[in-house]
Formats: sequence, C-alpha cells, structure tokens
Amino acid sequence: MTALLELNGITKTLKGQQAPRTILAGADLTVDRGESVAILGRSGSGKSTLLSLIGLFDRPDGGQYLLGGRDITKLSERKAAALRSAEFGFVFQRFFLLKHLTAAQNVAMALVNGQGWMSRRKRKARTMAALDQVGIAHLAKHKPARLSGGEQQRVAVARALVREPRLLLADEPTGALDTETGNLVIEVMRAATDRGCGLILVTHDWDHANKMQRVLRLSDGLLEPATDTRPVAETVATAQPVPVADATAVYR
Amino acid sequence: MIRLSGRFRSALIIGGQGIRARKTRTLLSMVSLFLGVLAVVVVQVGAETAKSARLADLELHAGKDGTRQMYLQGTADSVRISQETLKGRPDAIAVTSLQAIIGEPNVTPINPGGAPFDQPGGYGMSYNMSCDQSGNCYPVPMNGQDQAQVPGAAIEMSLSALTGDIRQFRPFRSVAGNWLDFSTEPSLSPGLVVNLEAAKGFSRNRVPAEMRINGTTANPTPRILGVVDDGNSQPVAYGRADELGYWLPAPTGNMNYGPGLQIMMAPTALDVEQLLRVRLIASGIPADQLHAETIQARKEIAKELALMRWIFLGMASLVLLIGVAGILNVGLATVGERVEEFALRRAVGTPRSLLAGIVLAETLLTGLFTAAAAIGLSAAALTAISTLFGDREQFLADLVFPWQAGVAGVVAGLVAGVLGGLIPAIRAARIPIATVMRA
Repeated sequence: MTALLELNGITKTLKGQQAPRTILAGADLTVDRGESVAILGRSGSGKSTLLSLIGLFDRPDGGQYLLGGRDITKLSERKAAALRSAEFGFVFQRFFLLKHLTAAQNVAMALVNGQGWMSRRKRKARTMAALDQVGIAHLAKHKPARLSGGEQQRVAVARALVREPRLLLADEPTGALDTETGNLVIEVMRAATDRGCGLILVTHDWDHANKMQRVLRLSDGLLEPATDTRPVAETVATAQPVPVADATAVYR
Repeated sequence: MIRLSGRFRSALIIGGQGIRARKTRTLLSMVSLFLGVLAVVVVQVGAETAKSARLADLELHAGKDGTRQMYLQGTADSVRISQETLKGRPDAIAVTSLQAIIGEPNVTPINPGGAPFDQPGGYGMSYNMSCDQSGNCYPVPMNGQDQAQVPGAAIEMSLSALTGDIRQFRPFRSVAGNWLDFSTEPSLSPGLVVNLEAAKGFSRNRVPAEMRINGTTANPTPRILGVVDDGNSQPVAYGRADELGYWLPAPTGNMNYGPGLQIMMAPTALDVEQLLRVRLIASGIPADQLHAETIQARKEIAKELALMRWIFLGMASLVLLIGVAGILNVGLATVGERVEEFALRRAVGTPRSLLAGIVLAETLLTGLFTAAAAIGLSAAALTAISTLFGDREQFLADLVFPWQAGVAGVVAGLVAGVLGGLIPAIRAARIPIATVMRA
C-alpha cells in the first residue's frame, strides 16, 4: 500500500547573511494514512523547517518528496497552493485567527481561498460540521476576542480540518496553552486520525508526543526514533489519551 | 471559467470583509480620493455642458451637423431658379435675404441698418448687406435718395424669405406664438415670425403694421405669427417666400437681393443639389462659383474645446494623483498590518494572484464607492443649480448630468483604485508563507 507521505534524503540549508547552516541533512520520513507522528527536537533543530517543507511552504534543496506516491519535490507555486488547499491542514502555535471575523468565518476562510467555489449553503454546512467536530459549534458566531485560548486553537483546528485534508500538520499547537487545554487540543487533532487523516505533530512536550503512534526526534538534520528519557513517575499521568467527547464536554 | 469566477468571487468576499473590518481606514481612503474623482467628474460635466451649449448655439447660428449649404450671389436668376427648384421640397430650402422696414413710411428707422436695439445709432445709416458666393457678407450703403431724413416709429430688420421650414436645419427655439405654415395657400398679408431681438423692438415701440421692402412698389401689411430664438443678435424676420413674392417685383437681371441667397440641404438630398447645380450652371452661373460645404459643428467644437478640456483634465489628474498617493499610503500600511493574515491565507491554499486580487479588490471597491459618491454629489449639485438658477439663464435650465461624466468618474475611481492598490497588492503577494511558522 502506498504511504501517504514519504520523504527520502531531504536536505535543506538556510542561507542568510551569516554562514550557510545545514538544517536537514538527508531526513527520511514515512507517514501512512491515519497515522500520527510526533517530532521532537531542541529549539533550532529544524522541526519547523521540516514542517514547512512538508506543507509546501518551501522547497527542499535535495532529496525526494512523495505524496500519495506522486513526486511533488519540485512543484510550481500555483500547484503547491492547490495541494495545500486540498491535502493539508495547518495548526500553528499562535492561533492566527482573524479578529474581525467570527469563529465560523475564520473556519470558512479555508473554503474561500480561490481553489474552486462552494455555495454559501454548502460552506455553512461544512463549517458547522468542522466546528462540531472540535466541539465548539455553539461558539460559531463568537469573535476570537470572546474565546479562550483553547477555544481559539480549536477554531484553528476546525479551520485546518474543514477541507477534510489527508494530512494535518501541527507546529507546537499547545505552546501557548496550559497543560489541560493543550491536552484537549491534542485529543481533538488525534481524533481526526481516526477518520483516516494523517497527523504530524511538532512539539517539545513529551506528554503530547506520547499520545502519537510514533515519536521521532530531529537531531543533526536527521530523523530518528525517540525514546522517553524522563523518569517513569513523570510519564504516568499522560499514558492514556482522553476521549475527544469527554475532552470537549466542558465547553458545551 | 468556473475557476476564474470562484477566484473573482473569493476576492470580492474577502475584499468586502477587509473593508468592513477597517471602515474608518476605508473612509479615510475615500476622503483622500474623493476630491480627485470629484475634480475629474466636474471637469467632464463642465466640458460636456459647455460642448452642448456651444453646439446648440452653433446649430442655431450655422445649422445642424451634416447639413449641406451653399451661398450664392442674390441675382435674379439664382433666386428664381433656387425658389422654383426647391419649392415644396421637404429636404432642402432656399433662404433669400432682404432688408425690410416695418412702421411709418418715409422715416428713418429706430435702428438704422437693422442694428440691435441696445446699440444706439446702429450703423449710423441704412445699409444693405451684400454676400458673395463664399458666404462673406459686407454692408453696402443704400442709395442716398432712399434714405429717409425724418426719424420715426419704424423698425428695420433683415427679412429671410423661406421656401420651406428652416428649423430642420437650424433648430430655432420657439418663444411665443406659431411658426410659419407652409401647407396653406399663401396669403396676401405676409405672415412673419420674428426673432427675440426683433420682438424686443416691437415690444418697446408702437409701430404701424406697414412693411417696406427694397424694390417694392406697394407696402404689404404683415402679420406677426410668433417669436423664436434664432441666436441672432440683430433683428430678423422669417416669412414664406411665396407670400413675400406677391409684393416683390419679378426678378430682373440687375436686381440685387441684399445679403444674397443661402441654400440648405439635408445630407441625403444629393439629387436636389445635383439638379440645382445643373440648372444654375445652365442659367450662366459659372460652375466654379457653386461651392457646397457640409456643416461640421461637432468637429469645430471638438477642436475648440479639446485643448481646454485637456488642460482641466490635467489639473484634475494632479488632484486625483494626490488621492492615489493617499490610498497607496493607506494600502501599504494596511498590508504591513496584515502580513500574518496574508501568510495564513497562503498557508490555507490561497494563490499569490488571489492575494494580490484581494488587495486590489479592496482598493477598487474603495475607488468605486468614491466614484459613486462623487457622481451622486455632482448630479445632485447640478439638479440643485438647474432648479435654483434655471430661470436666470436658459442653459442652466437645460443642465443635465452628462453620462460621459459618470463614465469618467467610474474610470477615475477604478484607475485610482488600481494605481493605489497595485504596489500593496504586489507586496501582499510576496509575503513569505513561512511568516506564520516563525511568528
């Protein structure tokens, strides 16, 4: 069976005013449909760069990138935009909600992106379904200023899921949230994998990483399986994932 | 097509959201642009109004666009042949000009020479006007014996004998009464329609209804049928050539019809022109003296007004440019504030071109709103001016908002929108998508 995503020997060197710095030195990664993968690494190790390459924000210097078996290593900007719209969902550390729009309009933003056209009725139905999926359909008409951090991040997750992507890319989505709220958001995203959506989670948090099916560490530009080096006592509390329904119940 | 339509609709929706989110800023952009667009609209309104007024004036004096006209020396033959050939023709007329004095016999008219009544003394003595075949007219002193020595209640005017309705070529404005009726049998009492200047003379002076025409042996009693505005500053009366013909002696070889003979023909009356030309040449008039020309009033006006219009449009463009600078400034500041939004939109699949389109849509909508406001204000102001001051000047009463000004306003708004939005749009499209990753 063809893997959802396959990176083979991806390299990336950042060239700035200072000396060129190799961020990725031949990283390999395979993600199957419905699989969740966590990527850990210290700050500056290249986690976000890797995610931006996977999300087609940037191009690798070398290596091969296959999506569903199709080589998309060198894709034009126009085709990359179309793929971002159709295949990927993005969740960022900061929620990036547009403050002048309601929660529903923020979610619908991913549907009004010039990639095809959807009727207002269909847009509304898809938006409400996505908000319902993350448990905040009742907050559809609220503007971001009236939402808590966790609610805002769940709106962002709904925005990422509204086009029913094949791969969800999350760059430290709980970085701005407290532990409990962070857990809720992680569970909301993990629940999406039950419907066949792949998930790549970039995080510093072992507890959240442990909720993924695989945990990788990015070190010296290479991806390798990670082992939890924390004392056992610290890992007990996060061993079992919280069901999404329970996690979102407090908001209803 | 669907893809384009989707992008266009997306740009409008997102642009509309952007405008709603920044109402004050949009208003400020509109204010900076408003004067520029208003200037363009006002210049266009002024130019079109001036053009209409000038055209109407020119049509009154010279004739409608496309009219073929021919000036002939008013000899007995040319007058007789022209009147015979054109009699009863709906598409061509002959205008024979004479001098006439209405009032007491054997007195010097109040306006010797048919001068305007507000110019005391006029030409100082009676003149006949003589015109050559090119239409150039000049005064010819009347025979000294014909000049009356005693001032009296009489009015001198130019008398135009018509073979048909001249209004199809020169659209006189009816002021009072009726126009000449060419469908009835000619009357022995010639019906006259006078122009405003002649009417002024009759309203100021009580004169008996006796008309003297050079060369006549008896004086007819004219009937004043109506008053028209023919744009002429000198007193003129119009009458039927057949009615006046009862009183004029049969044209003889040495008779001179004052200012001469004018032929006016519709552009389609080529057969008449041909026939008239053949008959005139057959009567002995040299072919090279028969010059027909086409009236090109619009062309003349266009030349006349073009320079002025461009000068004013240039000034208006400068004002518009200031408005564009304003909208550009606001646009750049807005893009700077929305870096994350645009990067995020790219992250969710919005193409660069659509991002540029969103910014352009916002400035274009701002430009269009501004244009609508400027056009609305101009139209309202024009209506108010026409209502308030229409009774003072005829052209003010006729003021109508010209569609060309509306088009110019919309174009100015769109151009300003494009110019003001282009650089911000390019900047928005170039925002690196990784901005959201680094935030």
